[in-house]
Amino acid sequence: MSQLFLIAIRNLIQHRKRSLMLGGAIAGVTMLLIFLTSLSSGVRKAMFEAATTIQTGHINVAGFYKVTAGRSAPIVTDYKKVMEVIKKSLPDVEYIVPRGRGWARVVSDTSSLQAGLAGIDINQEPYFKNVLHLESGDFNALSEPHTVLIFEAQAKRLNVKVGDVIVISALMPNGTNNTIDLRVVAIAQDVGIFSNFSVFMPHQSVNDLYQINSNNMGALYVYIKNIKQLPKDMDILRKSLTEAGYTMMDSDPRVFWIKFDSVNREDWTGQKIDLTTWEDEISFIKWTITAIDGITYILTSILLIIIVIGIMNSMWIAINERTREIGTLRAIGMQRRRVMSMFVIEAFTLSALATLTGAVWGLLLAGIVHALHIHIPTGAQMFLMSNTLKFSFDFFRVINGMFVIIGATTLISLIPSLRAARLKPITAMQHNG
Amino acid sequence: MENVVSLEQVNKNYILGKTTVNALRNVSLVVAKGDFISIAGPSGSGKTTLLNLIGCVDIATSGHVIINDQDTHDLSDRQLTELRLNTIGFIFQSFNLVSVLSVFQNVEFPLLLQGKISVEERKTRVMDLLKKVGIENHSKHRPNELSGGQRQRVAIARALVTRPKIILADEPTANLDSKTGETIIDLMKEMNEQEKTTFIFSTHDARVMAHANTIINIADGQIVGNQMADKNKSSVKTSAKSKKTDKTKSKSSVKLQGKTK
Ligand SMILES: Nc1ncnc2c1ncn2[C@@H]1O[C@H](COP(=O)(O)OP(=O)(O)O)[C@@H](O)[C@H]1O
Ligand SMILES: [Mg+2]
Repeated sequence: MSQLFLIAIRNLIQHRKRSLMLGGAIAGVTMLLIFLTSLSSGVRKAMFEAATTIQTGHINVAGFYKVTAGRSAPIVTDYKKVMEVIKKSLPDVEYIVPRGRGWARVVSDTSSLQAGLAGIDINQEPYFKNVLHLESGDFNALSEPHTVLIFEAQAKRLNVKVGDVIVISALMPNGTNNTIDLRVVAIAQDVGIFSNFSVFMPHQSVNDLYQINSNNMGALYVYIKNIKQLPKDMDILRKSLTEAGYTMMDSDPRVFWIKFDSVNREDWTGQKIDLTTWEDEISFIKWTITAIDGITYILTSILLIIIVIGIMNSMWIAINERTREIGTLRAIGMQRRRVMSMFVIEAFTLSALATLTGAVWGLLLAGIVHALHIHIPTGAQMFLMSNTLKFSFDFFRVINGMFVIIGATTLISLIPSLRAARLKPITAMQHNG
Repeated sequence: MENVVSLEQVNKNYILGKTTVNALRNVSLVVAKGDFISIAGPSGSGKTTLLNLIGCVDIATSGHVIINDQDTHDLSDRQLTELRLNTIGFIFQSFNLVSVLSVFQNVEFPLLLQGKISVEERKTRVMDLLKKVGIENHSKHRPNELSGGQRQRVAIARALVTRPKIILADEPTANLDSKTGETIIDLMKEMNEQEKTTFIFSTHDARVMAHANTIINIADGQIVGNQMADKNKSSVKTSAKSKKTDKTKSKSSVKLQGKTK
């Protein structure tokens, strides 16, 4: 009965102050929820971008080679064959990037730090140049031998600039240290925690350092066209690599450098292939998103409880004020169910309008803060994966949040509405006001 | 003659703390279709209680209240609501219009509850009625933009819109000045004649009750007598709008079966 909507809206307008206060509160909570949700989505997106540029492919085909049971190297031997298997069996592949991997000490004249070494071919990295922003230097210089790209914070700690030479010193399985000299050719802006632990150099430099031949590769970063296909693609790869004769490691959602210990303790030699997803490789940092989401949910839950109490309260008042009207409508033949709908519709209308408004505010606020490029303190940058506050619009999560708020407020309105429906029609006659 | 209302040995008690108020005592009466009845009596005599029982908004403590051949004792809340919607129209002392709806929407509302007729039909029926009660020019106004008399006209139209068999009006003129009150009663009378709707209204105003075909006198919860209002009427009628009455008078057919002291 559309008239019930009309009555609801007109009553809301009639009690403008009450509606605005309550609606404002609902809108405020929605705004906060949407704002924080967008932040969480933003961090998630930044994390995904940074991680899949620096740290991992969508799927990583890596593994360990063991000469003896206790000595492992994080490499895939004869990697081009593996690449062929991947290309042949997985139609979803967009491209495959071979990455050298290592873990070493980076030493300058004044200081030193630990970093993951990434061997790359700058000309075969489609998005590398788009995602990283250079402070100084030149990406293309990385195609020259014995060069290195480091990040801003590293450069500061090492006190080096473009053109300076740093020493990479890696501890070999036999206990000796291998070193190579590399020339800093580019300094990139930090992108969260990944940039603190990564330096990029040509493949040849990694091979030189570890004295391995160029048939070996740290990992193959597989980028796929449809990220939603990832679990399926993982299955396909696991199957086809097994069929191609490779021994697969059990799936283990941890970053490769944590796996050394357990791999060294295992009793096998030769090559094993380890399949991981991008999420596995950054599992150690995912608590950031969990924390933002946790704060969001706790905060909105508390505020939602307050709002729910507010709705109940305001509806008790409204029902009290409108006792005579309810009695009249019951007397002239309105069924209880309709009386109940009348009040539920009123609560729903207020809540829906307020939530919609709040969502628009929340998205606007997120958009504005995003556009202001507000600088994040260095400490927080590590975990927010970006040097400015970044927000991202996630349609599904926005709709979801709105549904929760509208749902909770409408549901709670059932209680006072039920009481309104139980009012006796005789009250119409008894109230003489 | 068809009876639309019949009460048999009806008692209504209210429990107030430790005492019981006997608001109605052994009331029996029969109302025929098309009658125009006034329930008269001083304040506290039980007029409202009686109308509430007839209007199916309250249940008798004992006895039978039969409306449109249905004993209200046997009906669920749902069925009673249906009965009120389809068989009874209400006119209240303080008008009781829905303040956020326009005059038109207020009158249309019972039709929407019924959900039986189309938009166009609703529109013509409501506008016709508004015309009949002389308020068609205010159809878009809200109730609070109208005078008391105008509001009661809207209420009358709302009560009539579903073409009920019975219209109940509890002191419909109590909140109006006496002149407006009389025009409202005249209007009710006119509708009674045109639509053949049974009207039962209460009042303690002698001038108002004089318009009725039949007056049921009630005191202390008991019916104490009735008058076929012919004599009073002619004397009072001259001051009112002067119309009709001759044929309706003969219709008066309230039979009183209550104990009279
Ligand atoms: N809800 C109630 N509770 C207790 N007593 C009531 C209630 N309603 C009416 N009464 C009593 O019943 C008697 C009849 O009341 P009512 O029908 O309202 O009379 P009238 O309408 O003629 O003024 C009065 O004594 C009144 O006090
Ligand atoms: Mg009364």
